[in-house]
Amino acid sequence: MAKTSSKSNLTGKFSKAASTNSGRVHVVPTKDGWSVKKEGAKRSSVVTSTKEGAIKAAKNVKSAERIVVHKKDGTIQRNAKKGEL
Amino acid sequence: MNANNVFINCPFDNDYFVLLKPLLFSLCYIDLNPQISETSDSGEIRLHKIKGLIENSRYSIHDLSRMEPLRDNELPRFNMPFECGIDFGIKLSNPVDFADKRFLILEKESYRYQKVISDISGNDIKAHKNDPELITKVVRDWFKPTNPNIPRHKEIWLAYIEFEFDYEEILNSEGYDPKDINSLTYSDIVENMKAWIIEYKKK
Repeated sequence: MAKTSSKSNLTGKFSKAASTNSGRVHVVPTKDGWSVKKEGAKRSSVVTSTKEGAIKAAKNVKSAERIVVHKKDGTIQRNAKKGEL
Repeated sequence: MNANNVFINCPFDNDYFVLLKPLLFSLCYIDLNPQISETSDSGEIRLHKIKGLIENSRYSIHDLSRMEPLRDNELPRFNMPFECGIDFGIKLSNPVDFADKRFLILEKESYRYQKVISDISGNDIKAHKNDPELITKVVRDWFKPTNPNIPRHKEIWLAYIEFEFDYEEILNSEGYDPKDINSLTYSDIVENMKAWIIEYKKK
């Protein structure tokens, strides 16, 4: 187990990550379909019936720089630049 | 007994980690304090710590979903029903002091518990179907009557999704394995979740 940061530094990284607007858009499987969520938004901007439709909608978000596609368990399936998907 | 403490009795392994993280996150998001016993203590000390955590928590969540082995060559886990029994024993033997104590019992499937632990019938028993989003909904819905300001489950789930991204990125950058439940202590995980949620809610 590698340990490169102190406990307080690690917590600081989490605080910073949550407060930063990164231009990421998340594609998330939810009970009502595939949700598209801009980072920091409290609600989905779009919900579609397919993952492909959600990725397309995510690419249409003007502020999107990266698209992050999640698995059903919430973990990351793919994290790519907008033009790479 | 702390009114915001929630004692968590669940499996602590990598298979369950995908459920434990959203469970802890949901509790932190609605301003509750998850209480987990670290597993490094010897048996007797650990039991006393568990008793102390239970006595200092108004709420308890017992996940009995691993009453069956996950794989053919494994045995079922008895720690969870055992600790659930300790909790019931504390409440039943101190009915005045623990009159406000409430239990949520989680299972994989509805009604399966009736075949193996029917004594708990009549309590709040909910199935999560090993689904991380559903565990978020079950926990959120159970606490909703205690606080009308609790947000809908989808807000919590979407926030969790974003946290999960940061969790993987940060742990990878620090040389930890984000899939390994032992990479951080439980208290560190909860502390990092709370720090993250405070900033997220400001947006």
